[in-house]
Amino acid sequence: MKFLFYLILVLLLVPLQTTLLPHLSVWDIKPDSGLVAAAFVGLLAGELEGLLVGLAIGWVLNLFSAGELWLSLLTNGGVGLLAGFLGRQVSHVTSISLGVGLLLVSLASGLLAAMNFKHLDVSQMGWMVESIVLPQACFDAVVGAGLYWLLSQRFDVSRLRTE
Amino acid sequence: MWMANSRPSYGARRLALGCFALLLAALFLLPGQIQGLLQYLDGPVGHVVRVPLEAIASIDFGIADGWQQYVALQGVREENQQLRKEIEWLRGQNSQLRESAAATERLTALLQFKEQALPTMVAAQVIGRDATNRYRAIILNKGESDGIKPDMGVITPAGVVGRVVKTTGASSVVLLVTDPNNAIAGLIQRTRDEGIVEGTQQGMAQLKYIPLLSTLRDGDRVVTSGLVGGFPRGLAVGTITRIDKQEGALFQSAELMPEVDVGHVEEVLVIQTSYGQSTKAGVGADLLGKPSP
Repeated sequence: MKFLFYLILVLLLVPLQTTLLPHLSVWDIKPDSGLVAAAFVGLLAGELEGLLVGLAIGWVLNLFSAGELWLSLLTNGGVGLLAGFLGRQVSHVTSISLGVGLLLVSLASGLLAAMNFKHLDVSQMGWMVESIVLPQACFDAVVGAGLYWLLSQRFDVSRLRTE
Repeated sequence: MWMANSRPSYGARRLALGCFALLLAALFLLPGQIQGLLQYLDGPVGHVVRVPLEAIASIDFGIADGWQQYVALQGVREENQQLRKEIEWLRGQNSQLRESAAATERLTALLQFKEQALPTMVAAQVIGRDATNRYRAIILNKGESDGIKPDMGVITPAGVVGRVVKTTGASSVVLLVTDPNNAIAGLIQRTRDEGIVEGTQQGMAQLKYIPLLSTLRDGDRVVTSGLVGGFPRGLAVGTITRIDKQEGALFQSAELMPEVDVGHVEEVLVIQTSYGQSTKAGVGADLLGKPSP
C-alpha cells in the first residue's frame, strides 16, 4: 500500500513539475515539487523512507531534466534524509519552521548546482543566485509551508509523524 | 493512518545513513558506472512515466487550444488584414526567389556539384519543460524507440531550437539554444565569419569568437555553419542585435535575438541525419522545403 502511494507520488510529480508548474511560475521560476515532496516524506515517515523516496524522485525527475544525475540524487535524497533526522529532533514542527528549513536546503542545493556550472564568472554566478537560486528557495519555502499548514488544518500532523 | 504505525528503529536510521554514505562514495568514485547502471532502467521507467505525462500534457494542450480558439480572439481581424498584406508581399518575394533558385540550379549543374539529399527528420511534440529552473530545456514525446539520440539537432521551420542532450525510451530532453550550456557552430550569413552560438543567462543567445576584422553589423543574420553538431549548414539561428568589441580582446562577440521563440514552441523536428547523409527525404523535409502557396 505504502509502496503504491510512493509510486503514484513519484509518477505524478513528473507531469506536475514539467507540464503544470511552468504555468504557475513567477518570473520564470517554478517551485521544486520534488524537493518539497522528499522533505515531507522524510518528515512524516522517517529518514530511511525519506532517503529512498528522495532518491527515486531525484532519479525520475532527472530523466526529464538536462541537469546532472548525481546532483539530483544528492539533493533530493539528502533532503529526505535530513528531514527525517530533523523531524525526529524537533518536537513540534510548524509550517514556519518547515518553511525556513526548506529555504535553507533549497538555497544550499541551488548554490551547489550553481557552483557545478562551468564557465560562470563572478557576475554571472551573482546573477544566477539573485535571479534563480534565491527566488526558487523562497518559492519552495512558501509552497512547503503552505502545504504543511493545509495538512495540519486537515489532519493531526503529530500523529502522522512516526515519533 | 498507516504512517502512524511505522516507527523506524535505530537500525533503520543507521541503515539510512549507511545507504547515503555508500551512495555518495559510489557517485564520486564510480560516476560512470553508476550512471551506466541507471541507464539500463531509464528506458522502461521512461515508458511508464510517459503515460501520466502525456495524459496531463494532452489536457494542458486541450485547455490552451480552447483558450486560443475561443477566448483569445481579440484583435484577430486586424491581425488577419496585416497577414494578408504580408502574404501579398511574400508572394512577390517568393517569385523572385524561385527565379534565383532556378538560376542556382543551372549554375550548380554547370559546376557539377554532387546532389545532396535532404535531411531525415522526425516530428515531435513538446510535452513539458525542464524539471529544474537551472536549465532551459524542453521535453519531447519521442525518444530512443523513435530513433532519437543525444546530440541530434532540433529545429522548427523558422530555425534552430536546440540540441538533444538526454533520451529515454519514450521521451527526450532538448537543451534550448538560449541555454548558456549549449554551443552550436554558427556563421554570419553576410560576412561568412564563423563563431560559436551560446545562450545567455538572460535567455538570449550570443555569437562568440568572431574574428576582430569581421565587418558584422546589427541586423545581420546568423545561420548554422554545419561544421560540427547535428545541424546542417544554413539553418537560421538568430539576428544580431548588439555587437560587443572590447579593447585588447582577441575576438568580438554579438548578442542575438533567436529566430524561434523557444519559450512557446509546441512542435519541433529532430534532425536524424544531416544533408548528404540520407538518401531519402523524411517527414519534416516537406515542412522546410515546400514553398508557400
